[in-house]
Amino acid sequence: MATTSKQYKAIGEDLWKGRTEKINAELFALTYGALVVQLVQDYEDYAEVNKQLEKMGYNIGTRLIEDFLARSGLGRCADFREVGEVVAKVGFKSFLNITPTVTHGALPPASSPTRSSMPPSQANAPGTSFTLQFDENPLAEFVELPEEALEGGLWFSNVLCGVIRGALEMVQMQVQATFVSDVLRGDETTEIRVTLVKYLEEEMPVGDD
Amino acid sequence: MSTVPSLAAVADPPPRYVDGAAMDYFVIEMVNALRASSAVATARTKKVEQEMIDAGLMPAPAPPPPALKKEQMRESMGSNLSLSSLSKTGREGDEEELRARLEAIGMHVGANMAERLCHDRGLFTDTLDAIKFICKDLWNACWDKQVDNLRTNHRGVYVLQDNAFKPLTRISDPHVIRS
Repeated sequence: MATTSKQYKAIGEDLWKGRTEKINAELFALTYGALVVQLVQDYEDYAEVNKQLEKMGYNIGTRLIEDFLARSGLGRCADFREVGEVVAKVGFKSFLNITPTVTHGALPPASSPTRSSMPPSQANAPGTSFTLQFDENPLAEFVELPEEALEGGLWFSNVLCGVIRGALEMVQMQVQATFVSDVLRGDETTEIRVTLVKYLEEEMPVGDD
Repeated sequence: MSTVPSLAAVADPPPRYVDGAAMDYFVIEMVNALRASSAVATARTKKVEQEMIDAGLMPAPAPPPPALKKEQMRESMGSNLSLSSLSKTGREGDEEELRARLEAIGMHVGANMAERLCHDRGLFTDTLDAIKFICKDLWNACWDKQVDNLRTNHRGVYVLQDNAFKPLTRISDPHVIRS
């Protein structure tokens, strides 16, 4: 019996309520903002800052996933579609107390054969994607980007893309997570697209001791 | 769902939270990110310095006596250390750069938090009043508790004691050997 969207929402809510240690979101937002400013000053290159934010996120994500798996007790997702649901409704909810809307991308055309373990379902084919749309972004609470950051192409919250990539890599999925739009840049919405690159061979079981 | 939120709720929204573990992981990785970025910035500045020295625009710096510098650094924690830390070689200089950046971030956070917390109240009557604000209101807003003990010598030195400082509670002691 597949877990429904509503059930995931409930799981997310419960996990959030059960978190014992909660930090003032302002503290978090201010710290992150100050860090981005410092990185911009140090690198003097917005593309490089984007890269460093993503890398930092990746490192965070690889640790976050263990915490998440331990607390949620959720098993393996059946397909990439389910991954999107869990990331949006349980992942983001339990760590940032937000629930981005998830839209599943159109399935890719009939995939060319790839080597080794490839799940039969089309919904797992490389190229499958989902998009997360954020109504609120705790990182960008007090933020207004200056002209040169806009022109330089800074993705302020790029750390989130890294977190998604790092976390999913630890559960055997290589993905690409990138910002599509950001209200900080004057766009209508803030969206991250997550695309499956491939499933990874299991080298070491996650969470085994 | 109400369509007209009360003005009070809009003016003073209830505090929002994020998960403590997420914040911890973020801060840990933030230190690493800053270590890398400060190395890049230092390298770039050193390069420019070297170019200026090569072009004869700047005299080559005399190497400072290392022991003496270290003592002076420890005492002047709050000051702008960038110029002197560049002349320090290797790891000492890098650590100073990192520490300076962390402190700068702390100042930014503290200043903004305090500003938001103070928008209702009048000016502080004296230094003690300001210190008490930090011990109670600021500490509470940041870490849901107050400073455990405040001492002063009544000559301008205040000691704030927190027996369970939240940012440090989940960091392990590197000297403890786990069997």
